Amino acid sequence: MTVYESDLPGVGKKHEIDLPDGSQLVVVTHNEGRREVFLRPTPESDSEKLFELSDQLARQIGTILEGAYFQPVRSESIETLLGGDTLLEWVEVGADSPIADRTLGESDLRQETGASVVAIERDDEVIPSPGGETTVRAGDTLVIVGTRENCDAFEARVTGE
Amino acid sequence: MAAGLLALGEVFVVLAIAGAVALRVGLSVIPLYVVGGMLAGPFVAGRIGLPYVPNDELLTVLAEVGIVLLLFFLGLEFSLGRLLAARSKITRAGLIDVVVNLPLGVALGFALGWSFVEALLLGGIVYISSSAIVTKTLIDLGWIADEEAEPILGTLVFEDLFIAVYLAVVTSLVLGGSGGAVATGAGTEAVGGLGGVGRSLAVAFGFLGLLLVVVQYGTGFFVRVLDVSENEAFVLRALAVVVPVAGLALALGVSEAVAAFFVGMGFSTSGHRERIERQLTPVRDVFAAIFFFWIGVGTDPRLLGGVAVPLAAAVLLTTPSKVLSGYLGGRAYELSGRRSLRAGLGLVPRGEFSLVIAALAAGGSTPVMQETIPALAVGYVLVMSSLGTVLMQRSDAVAELAGRAWPHTKM
Repeated sequence: MTVYESDLPGVGKKHEIDLPDGSQLVVVTHNEGRREVFLRPTPESDSEKLFELSDQLARQIGTILEGAYFQPVRSESIETLLGGDTLLEWVEVGADSPIADRTLGESDLRQETGASVVAIERDDEVIPSPGGETTVRAGDTLVIVGTRENCDAFEARVTGE
Repeated sequence: MAAGLLALGEVFVVLAIAGAVALRVGLSVIPLYVVGGMLAGPFVAGRIGLPYVPNDELLTVLAEVGIVLLLFFLGLEFSLGRLLAARSKITRAGLIDVVVNLPLGVALGFALGWSFVEALLLGGIVYISSSAIVTKTLIDLGWIADEEAEPILGTLVFEDLFIAVYLAVVTSLVLGGSGGAVATGAGTEAVGGLGGVGRSLAVAFGFLGLLLVVVQYGTGFFVRVLDVSENEAFVLRALAVVVPVAGLALALGVSEAVAAFFVGMGFSTSGHRERIERQLTPVRDVFAAIFFFWIGVGTDPRLLGGVAVPLAAAVLLTTPSKVLSGYLGGRAYELSGRRSLRAGLGLVPRGEFSLVIAALAAGGSTPVMQETIPALAVGYVLVMSSLGTVLMQRSDAVAELAGRAWPHTKM
């Protein structure tokens, strides 16, 4: 996939993305935040405007496209790059996990691996910023933040390998 | 006090109505603001006995703030890095643009029997395209996503830089020339005028050079002065930098517009650019609208009749010349014939900067500068802003006509 970026002085920035069928998606980001999305069927044709989004709406829809809310394809690990080399990762706690039915404080994963638990997804609920006294249960999904090494070490501890 | 407030109220009512009409008919707001000012001013409303908006000091100062903020935003958007990054293309398209259009306007001025400075003013008026109208129409028509946007916006960047230098020189010629003529008697006018010009050019380039050094090396100041989280304090501080500097420039007989442009450049690298754009755009738009209105207030529609012949000549000459230079600019960007033609049509609208030059001319010493050029510029902008927008909207029909006229050119 190739993305072309160009400046639009006085307007904002333009990104052109080549699609597999030979058409191009054109995203114009205005300085004031508005996004306009166009489709250019062939390189010679005029772009047709598809839709326009406010800054906030564009970010929300972007998160959905990214798969942060729902992953249609079950992948081994779900992760999001926050910038630099810091990852946001989702880790499932299996029934035979060594950290199940222990508190976060007892497992002391942050000290050991460097990654911190920023939230726990349990059934339909989310426990934000869980403290050391929070008990982890089998079936929980832990949302963790750390470098790639931290996250790998964390996952190894959770699966007990 | 009450009269002043009432008059200002009338200004805003007329501007609001003009804006609504512009939205309805799909034209730029600029010509409608000018016409609104003309109708509400002393020459139309005043003559038929309706309450009118006087062309007084209050309106003039508010309009001046409009000029300052227009140029401040131009400087804010101006990036030397961007110009250098695409310099070969931008420079080629920009040079074609200036070499074709500026001399044509100057030649027209000479043909009308005007002096060099007067002809140079006309050259600037017909040369400079309207960033506001062109950019808005590009977005409205969706051209912004296509290749033709690049030569159009690139040419506007070149024009912005050129106009800064141009205004600095021409302001000195206009104000310095008149200062010299007043100071000396009629007999030594030429000599005194020349000395005055030399002095005021020296003052202008001294002041602007100093300002440029501050802008170049004072990044720390520009970063710190706006380092505040409250929006109100942010807006006030930005205005507290740009307006006094522009005022000081004008007091020294230097172009306040160029001073504002440089201050804008200073802020462009401060990391505050986007926030300034977000917070100050409404402020700029209010004052710019008053500036266009003020231009209308100062225009006697009867004078427009007097300049009908030069006006027609300017329109008939500089519409095709701008299409041609824009077309060649598009070719310099290696675009197809059809897209290059669009680049040409896209640069036809003239607007705010032609009027800024007209306002500058009005401060000159000759009747041509005081009356003819402003009236001509107003008529010219009214025609070109509307004609340019319509040509862009009907670009396919124009392309078809061009295809028929030059069947061998591949469109």
